[in-house]
Amino acid sequence: MTEREARQVQDSDAPPPENGRGTDAPRRSSLTWALVGKILFLGAVNALFFVGLPSMLALEWWAGIAVLGLATALVNWAYLTKKNLPAKYLIPGTIFALTFQIVPVIYSGYISLTNSSISHRLSEEQALDNLTGRASNVPGTTRFDMSILADPEGTLALFLVDDEGTETFGTQEGQVALSADEVTRDEDGDVVAVGDYTLLGIAAISERQNEILDFDVPVERGAIMAVTITTAAVYEALYTYDEDTGMLTENATGVVYEPKDGIFTAADGRTLDPGWQVFIGFDNYTRAFTNDSIRGPFLRVLVWNYVFAILSVILTFAVGLGLAVTLNRAGMRGQKIYRAFLVVPYALPSFMTALIWAGMLNQQFGVINELLGADIPWLRDPTLAKASVLMVNLWLGFPYMFLVSTGALQSIPSELKEASYVDGATPRQAFNAITFPLLMVSLAPLLIASFAFNFNNFNVIYLLNQGGPPIEGATTPAGHTDILISYTYRLAFESGSGAQWGFASAIAVLIFMMVAAVSALSFRRTRALEDLA
Amino acid sequence: MKLRPKVWLALLLAMSMALTACGDSEETTTTTTAPTETTTSAMAEETTTTVAGGDTTTTTEPVVRADADLVIWADDTRTPVIQEFADDFAAENNITVAVQELSFDGLRDRLITAAPAGEGPDIIIGAHDWLGQLVSAGVVAPLDIGAVADQFAPAAVQAFNYQGTNYGLPYAIENIALVRNTDLVPESPATFEELVDTALQLEADGEVTLPLALQENGNGDPFHNYPIVTAFGGYVFGENADGSYNPEDIGIASEGGVAAAEYFAELSNEGVISIDTLYDVMIETFSNGDAPFAITGPWALGEFDAAGVNYVVEPIPSVQGGEPRPFVGVQGFMLSAFAENPLIASTFVLDFMATQQAQEALFEAGGRPPAHTAAFLAVAADNPNIEGFGEAGQNGYPMPAIPEMGSVWQAWTDAYALIFTGTDPEQAVTDAADQIRTLIDEG
Repeated sequence: MTEREARQVQDSDAPPPENGRGTDAPRRSSLTWALVGKILFLGAVNALFFVGLPSMLALEWWAGIAVLGLATALVNWAYLTKKNLPAKYLIPGTIFALTFQIVPVIYSGYISLTNSSISHRLSEEQALDNLTGRASNVPGTTRFDMSILADPEGTLALFLVDDEGTETFGTQEGQVALSADEVTRDEDGDVVAVGDYTLLGIAAISERQNEILDFDVPVERGAIMAVTITTAAVYEALYTYDEDTGMLTENATGVVYEPKDGIFTAADGRTLDPGWQVFIGFDNYTRAFTNDSIRGPFLRVLVWNYVFAILSVILTFAVGLGLAVTLNRAGMRGQKIYRAFLVVPYALPSFMTALIWAGMLNQQFGVINELLGADIPWLRDPTLAKASVLMVNLWLGFPYMFLVSTGALQSIPSELKEASYVDGATPRQAFNAITFPLLMVSLAPLLIASFAFNFNNFNVIYLLNQGGPPIEGATTPAGHTDILISYTYRLAFESGSGAQWGFASAIAVLIFMMVAAVSALSFRRTRALEDLA
Repeated sequence: MKLRPKVWLALLLAMSMALTACGDSEETTTTTTAPTETTTSAMAEETTTTVAGGDTTTTTEPVVRADADLVIWADDTRTPVIQEFADDFAAENNITVAVQELSFDGLRDRLITAAPAGEGPDIIIGAHDWLGQLVSAGVVAPLDIGAVADQFAPAAVQAFNYQGTNYGLPYAIENIALVRNTDLVPESPATFEELVDTALQLEADGEVTLPLALQENGNGDPFHNYPIVTAFGGYVFGENADGSYNPEDIGIASEGGVAAAEYFAELSNEGVISIDTLYDVMIETFSNGDAPFAITGPWALGEFDAAGVNYVVEPIPSVQGGEPRPFVGVQGFMLSAFAENPLIASTFVLDFMATQQAQEALFEAGGRPPAHTAAFLAVAADNPNIEGFGEAGQNGYPMPAIPEMGSVWQAWTDAYALIFTGTDPEQAVTDAADQIRTLIDEG
């Protein structure tokens, strides 16, 4: 830990938990608050665990119970003992880092190695249930009015009346005729019992509905099954599953489907949705590099992505710093008001403002063209659209740069500048040789962060113009202002057969590597700056 | 480890807070078991949930399934009507029914992710063209509507049939039609060419600013352009012998598709239509009498009525002799494949919602023309606009539900954006068709 970091740790923490020492009077009140705070904190942590416990038990998610239980116990241990000061910081920190940083990254990495997509989302068992549960109404058969009965042991049976009024009785052995004396009726003539079997009430039906739906009365072709709680019809299953071979046969055609790459596949390549999620190694990555639909406009999109991110950082920083320097003059009148106004774009949600800009830049009905009395295709012309995106992003982004530059400027001791004036430097020389290098020491990491953010600045690109205008003759739909994330978002979620989470995760991991590489390089350069300071 | 009194106190309080949390969640499960009690649990408060007979609590999107014997997910226009029927059904069967409100598109996405995890509903109300995704995700269950199918418009029943299996009970059919301002244009134009001439004349006279309010969303809008495409013989997917769509046959750049594209370029150059016509622009210009014609669906009528403009709804007249045939969307009830109460759910849908009375009540709420034939006739008798939409949709094509449709929209939209900004129309649609083939092959 460098000295600076150590100082930050000390500075940043308001005193709370360590409360052992103080029974001496002057410190009492702050200690009481610390204690209350500690009680509330531990209470919340423990409450969280116990709130989650019933549902985790219901899901039989033992690993979850173990991990969360252990974490909860560790937090209690750290805060209820007098010792372990480092643990009081480290344990919560580690837990948060794991939950919000490391687990999502690992999970994305894991998903990127699977075929997870809209048609590969279920487990194998769920997919199989779905397919074997499919049945079709046998053509030319009758529909029945049905009453559901059960004998004292709970065995189900159906009392059936066909469309001609013939009454029959259905058990799991089959459909049998009924003689009048077997059927007990109430005064309205509705059936209440057949032999030992008595009518099930709605509560019992509700309780046993999955059993009732699975109950079938075999007939010559297919079986009679319940449709609603009062009607039944004859169905036959579409597919038969052979547990020994793991093959699924389509009953109507005899075509055999074999499980392959997470989906039942016939010899001719036809597949049966839904499939299930399986591990496919690096296929998603291979696809990202070899697929025509991605390679097509990829290079163009990538170049613009870098241009967009770098220009966004340079422009916002230049404007933000310029304004900060201008407004940094001591004794300037209305300084606070100017500063407050300049921060407005930062205070408004970019989600809204990007959409508002899209409206203002509308060619025929937008307020900008109306004010100018012009007919400028702000979002339609490829070059103008790029300029518009950069301009809107500048508007959205400069207040942040203005704020951080203002802060950094104020932390530079004025003696340094004064000393340079004594040495005969012009203000410009002083800025170039003293202020700017000192600023860069603290701001360079923020610029890198800003680059990483803008590299994936989906909001601005997508909300302003959906990446448009379209590139003429591209192999897949792509726009002149598309960046990697908006382009691949469309490929992964808005084309093909819907969401492809596995593929999207692979793209996310690749983008992460690009941003990480640039950031790592830049941080190296920054360290050189620090030495200079 | 020796703990001092203060620490014991802390531990005790912490534990009691934890136990309180526990107690609360148990209460949740018990309050809803009686049919007429209200759920005010932590879970229910996260959504707009109404348990039959209870009050409504409104907050954000549902995260979890409500705690009731039957759970229905619907969007804001349908929730109140469904609620009435849910209340009756609950009372009749002595069970609890919860209706949860989500955004329309949120319904589909949420069903796909929540259902397999056991957090989904028993019933959703959605659009037939979701079926491709929902079936391949394995989250909808087949629904045998054979007993009531003959009471519904055949096209609506057909729409919920996906790969030979029925997955829903239709309740509304919607499609776009021509809406004409009767003050500006008293007579219906006999042909689309006459419509264009009338509209351009009105613009030249300074009566209107936009000759035809055809929604283009700023980027081109294939859904609203489709009737004109079909009038020229263009199509999106060819049809197999059984009426299902064939994704191998893409008709965007067919002879008719190219002719339609060229016609759009012409309309745009003459200033009849504008790429900048967003939904709001369409509503505003037509409502203010700045556009004599609009091409839109039943969802816009509420705003036209509110503005007090006089209009009629009628089929789009023939375009150069060809009949315009819009996309038809059908909405209906679908069952989750992961329903906790599948039998109760199918009973509710088939016994309670397939009636003329229920279908008319749903019309009153949403203004969408009923799919139930008798309900449609009853509604259309007092409502000529509904009749107009019905007539316009009679020869419409059901919106393709096959997953390949997902690969179409962006490329097709881009083609219009390019046509409207001056690219050669034939080139634009040919490129779009190629892009769609690439996406389908590699998607």
